[in-house]
Amino acid sequence: MSKIRDSWGSRMGVIMAVAGSAIGLGNFLRFPAKAAANGGGAFMIPYLAALLLLGIPLMWIEWTLGRFGGGFEHGTAPGIFHSVSRKNRFIKYFGVIGIFGPLVIFIYYTFIESWTLGYSWFAFAGKYSGLHDQASMQSFLAGYQGLEKNSHFNGIVPAYGFFLATFAANIWVVYHGIRGGIEKLCNWALPVLFLFGVLLMARVLTLGAPLRPEWNVSGGLGFLWNPDFSALRSAKVWIEAAGQIFFTLSVGIGVILTYASYLKKGDDVVLSGLTAAATNELAEVVLGGSIVITAAFVFFGPQETKSIAQSGVFNLGFVTMPLVLNQLPLARLFGFAWFFLLFLAGITSSVSLAQPAIAFLEDEFAIGRKKAVAIFAASTFVLCQPGIFFLKHGVVDELDFWGGTFFLVVFAAIEAILFAWVFGMDKAWDEIHKGADMRVPVVYKFIIKYVTPAFLLVILGFWFWQEWLPVIFMSNVPAENRPYIVFTRIVLACLFIVLGFLVRQAWRGRKLNRQPV
Amino acid sequence: MNAAGLVLLVCSWGFIIFLNIFCFRKVMAKKEIR
Repeated sequence: MSKIRDSWGSRMGVIMAVAGSAIGLGNFLRFPAKAAANGGGAFMIPYLAALLLLGIPLMWIEWTLGRFGGGFEHGTAPGIFHSVSRKNRFIKYFGVIGIFGPLVIFIYYTFIESWTLGYSWFAFAGKYSGLHDQASMQSFLAGYQGLEKNSHFNGIVPAYGFFLATFAANIWVVYHGIRGGIEKLCNWALPVLFLFGVLLMARVLTLGAPLRPEWNVSGGLGFLWNPDFSALRSAKVWIEAAGQIFFTLSVGIGVILTYASYLKKGDDVVLSGLTAAATNELAEVVLGGSIVITAAFVFFGPQETKSIAQSGVFNLGFVTMPLVLNQLPLARLFGFAWFFLLFLAGITSSVSLAQPAIAFLEDEFAIGRKKAVAIFAASTFVLCQPGIFFLKHGVVDELDFWGGTFFLVVFAAIEAILFAWVFGMDKAWDEIHKGADMRVPVVYKFIIKYVTPAFLLVILGFWFWQEWLPVIFMSNVPAENRPYIVFTRIVLACLFIVLGFLVRQAWRGRKLNRQPV
Repeated sequence: MNAAGLVLLVCSWGFIIFLNIFCFRKVMAKKEIR
């Protein structure tokens, strides 16, 4: 394995790339909806507790494991796990989840990301500027998604065109590698994203009360931030807060492991990991916590905002926000800024989801980047199709459950246990601090060893019994959608088996004891 | 917006903004990756 691995060009580049991976559509849509539905301002108490006890420790765990594995020229979880426990022949198979998860998320996320590109264009061209109520904007969205033929769209062709453009953009970025593709993209996309975010935030906070005096900005912020402390007595609110932290930081997916594997042995992970997490929180709590709900309140009032917040994140982003922005001067400009912000948040995440599978082919099979990207592009293009054409049958929700929820928590629990208990806390503590620019407070030795794994196991158990069992048994799936869900599960099971087989092949018949470089 | 909401907003935003300033100042002052 003499090939020189790709590497980051600058420290700010890797921070921006990890932050870009973490900042996604959820920061601007999922967070405000969850906070509004779970105690308002009081939600921030379990949210910040989960950030300190779950999110930041997992960030440090993934950065450290990634850099450690990268030292053995392994950029994905199977090799990284094997490097941590070389005597265990089976541990590498747990790492399959670290390739499977991002791959599955990539195959539906790219399609959703393409909606934001499409809507950026529609906003700029004024295609939906004549729509002024929820029903017609929902019809516009359904027509675009190919769910119905209507006066706005006659079929899925425009959506498919934007999907092709988005897919090609993702492949183009990963084709140019870590330094020449992903780092370059994130170095300009993140500042532009924040610029658009601040612009929209400033516009929303200066809306005043255009329709009714009581529907004002202060009331909108109050809708999201006024605390209902009685909500803190509910275990569900604490689990929802922990879940939000978990999803927003992109931990438990495997992408941070891969990104950190391109660091050198003496590069800091403590400060860089904390900075990436802080950047993500700035986008989520400050920008996400002030734009969508406040704007909806000012134009729709408290009752409708409540139902909007409960109607799901797509409704919030693709129906409510364009309606709100339609009513402002310079509607096209602000509409474009909103959807292009979401597109940038999306593409900086999706390229990170592509990287683990590509790194696996490069590192474990010594395949060149161009060929690895070609294999990745061909396979994922085929795998993307069911999500596009069977959207109305719940295929995307099913992919999201397995790739973006179930295996995420399982993988994070495996990582935390592996790091603190298999690698060993003393060794892990030394590894975290190699080249560190700041010391991790010593209380985190206890938190990483006991609190984080326990927290994850509680979330895993709670979700499993409360929410996942009905999904697994398809209790809420309409009968006509069941064949599509079963088909999706068969495809996912095959994908998992193929990845497991590839791991077996990669380790077969070659010397496994790579020396640190 | 009531007083408790304002306090939670200011504290949450304050904490996040402080964390960002703290981190980025340190990042700018420390060594570049190799």
